[in-house]
Amino acid sequence: MEFDFTPVVTYFPTLLKGVGVGTLVAIVVAFMSIVGGLIVAVISIYTNKVVSWPLRFFIWLFMTTPLLLQLYFLYFGLGEWILIPAIVVGILGLGFHYMAYNADIFIATIKSVSNGQYEASRSLGFGHWNTILYIIVPQAFIRSIPQLGNNMILMVKDTSVLSAIGVAELVYASQYAISVSFRPFEFFIVIAIMYYVINILMELGQAWLERQTAYRR
Amino acid sequence: MRGWGVVRENNNSNQGKAMDFNLMVEVTPLLIRAAWVTIDISSRAIFFGFFVACGLVFLQTFRFGPIRWFARGYISVIRGTPYFVQLLLVFYGGPSIGLRLDPLTCGVVVGAFNIGAYMSEAIRGSIESVDKGQSEAARSLGFGKIRTMGYIVLPQAASLMIRSVGVLAIVLVKNSSLVSIISVVELTYQAQRLIGSTYKPLEIFTISALMYIIIVYAVMGIIELAYRRATRYTTQ
Repeated sequence: MEFDFTPVVTYFPTLLKGVGVGTLVAIVVAFMSIVGGLIVAVISIYTNKVVSWPLRFFIWLFMTTPLLLQLYFLYFGLGEWILIPAIVVGILGLGFHYMAYNADIFIATIKSVSNGQYEASRSLGFGHWNTILYIIVPQAFIRSIPQLGNNMILMVKDTSVLSAIGVAELVYASQYAISVSFRPFEFFIVIAIMYYVINILMELGQAWLERQTAYRR
Repeated sequence: MRGWGVVRENNNSNQGKAMDFNLMVEVTPLLIRAAWVTIDISSRAIFFGFFVACGLVFLQTFRFGPIRWFARGYISVIRGTPYFVQLLLVFYGGPSIGLRLDPLTCGVVVGAFNIGAYMSEAIRGSIESVDKGQSEAARSLGFGKIRTMGYIVLPQAASLMIRSVGVLAIVLVKNSSLVSIISVVELTYQAQRLIGSTYKPLEIFTISALMYIIIVYAVMGIIELAYRRATRYTTQ
């Protein structure tokens, strides 16, 4: 058992390309899941049951079934209708999955904003939707930052699962190099270290963001 | 399709229908068998993971620094890297350091060591959330260290612990789908294979999602029962 990290050094640019694709996916998914989750939460709280129940059903469905199953469903399901690249399927799958988780958080935090805020704002002349948009949602958003941060850290780790449907992120990028060099252990150790570093950076970022917004909570 | 138990002969009879119910009935036995594998892997991983977690909690009580640092570092690394990568590392990378595991064992072992790290944090958190006055009072009344833990602190921590460990158990059941990557024939693997052979993603997804939902709700039921039993003497 001797280790040989030279193939890893040789294929390091490929791995970095994989990190790039993973980062791109993560950024798009973060944006999509936070904005989408907020919209889903607001709609499912403030509209009638005909609209809100299907939304809650989808939140529940995405939260109780595993990500990989959803990805396979989207991959084969969408593949029947249109030809779309794996990366789009990956972004949509991961995006919907975490949209459901984020919506669940937003529903809880929107409900935690005191009803007095709504009443005061209405009495000052804000309309119903203006109150929601300018008074309720900003307060709820600040309160959900810690949990959103946790979800986004989980999401970055879950980008590795996308390699199962052929998205060219870090794990997938290493497949060719591993099959050529026969050094799976060294490659996966390096990949794990890369994820660990990204994870630590994200945790630091989350702590910083929480400190910055603490006084508003 | 041969050997997988599903043969679809006249595709035309189902054209235009929203859902192919015959197919759904046909694949259900296969998916139930696969669901048992999911339950098997998850329950074993939770069982062994509990011991890993207890070990990690115990190591963190040591006075000797390096042992504590080892436990902290282990927890940090496991929580900081994807479960998926851990699985691939042990399954494909393991043989080069002399660790040869069959897929099922690998799934259980990695699952146990993964959930152990998360669980140890949950257990430590719930023990620390018990008021310090409780253990001080018990010590001053003459209880030993072990008895204070066993009779005073743990029963109070149990209710919190059950809920947070239960959430982790549900996460583990869902994460067990990743074991399909190392070709364990569990629910997601079977579902993916059936989707690939029948090209009916909606039908297969419905049945397999239903099974995951049943498993998750069963776990939630068990947690609720355990929680009620742990809090039967407490007054709200």
